Amino acid sequence: MKPPLLARALLAAVAGEAEAECVAGDLEEEFGELSRNRCWYVSQVMRSLWPLLLLRVRSGELSRLLLGAVLGAALPLLLMDRLWRLVYSQIPLKDGVDRAPEFLAVNLLALCVSAAISGSHTRSMRPAFVKAVFACAAAGATLAASAGSTPAAYALLVLLLAPAGSMFGCLLRRFT
Amino acid sequence: MAKGDLLGEFEHLILLAILRLSGGAYGMSVRREIADRTGRDVSIGAVYATLDRLAAKGLVTSAMGDSTPERGGRAKRSFHLTGAGIAAVNRTRQELSKMLEGLEFPAPGAAR
Repeated sequence: MKPPLLARALLAAVAGEAEAECVAGDLEEEFGELSRNRCWYVSQVMRSLWPLLLLRVRSGELSRLLLGAVLGAALPLLLMDRLWRLVYSQIPLKDGVDRAPEFLAVNLLALCVSAAISGSHTRSMRPAFVKAVFACAAAGATLAASAGSTPAAYALLVLLLAPAGSMFGCLLRRFT
Repeated sequence: MAKGDLLGEFEHLILLAILRLSGGAYGMSVRREIADRTGRDVSIGAVYATLDRLAAKGLVTSAMGDSTPERGGRAKRSFHLTGAGIAAVNRTRQELSKMLEGLEFPAPGAAR
């Protein structure tokens, strides 16, 4: 019997790159010795989350991931939003009007490129996945903060392309 | 002595556990050694966080071992005391001995 999946996933998400493997291995070893006590495993994971998160912050890994997500996903969207707002404000009767689909397509292209560049700085898959999740969250936060209405299809594409671009950048780096 | 040289209580326990395990110290064995001897059920996360702090102070070093099936194919990270770590343990022991020397302990719960 394997340890509880949710607890394992939580541990993998919170523990830093250096600790994730050792901590999970240690817990699995003792889990086997303790007759597969699931409650013990969950309790250990829950009590370990805060120290492991602090450790991750102290090592600077969390800051790097956040910075990567902001530079790779939030910043390009924010800059493009400001650029289009400036362009529209210069055209009579266009100020406040929804963005044209062509402009939104340019936003998506810029997002893909910057997310891929940000993702290419990650070598292994696990931090790449975490970075992709952060990129998705950063893109979502930027969308929520952007001015004007956002078409649902565009929002969906942003939320998909930010993590996808990040993962693509990582994979490109690995296989080239 | 600088403030950073002082050992916290848990740091001291971890260094002593590594010393006791003599070469076989890794996260879970350190956790179990402390639990068996002190009765404190500490979390593996707290052990690793403290080991990381001790490594940053130069008191312990770590090395990755081989992966085993019991660990789900994951590698084990073993810990060893450095010269500075041994010196820190000795210094703390001497300080404690000096503080305890000739001390009469009051009965538990008694005011002093």
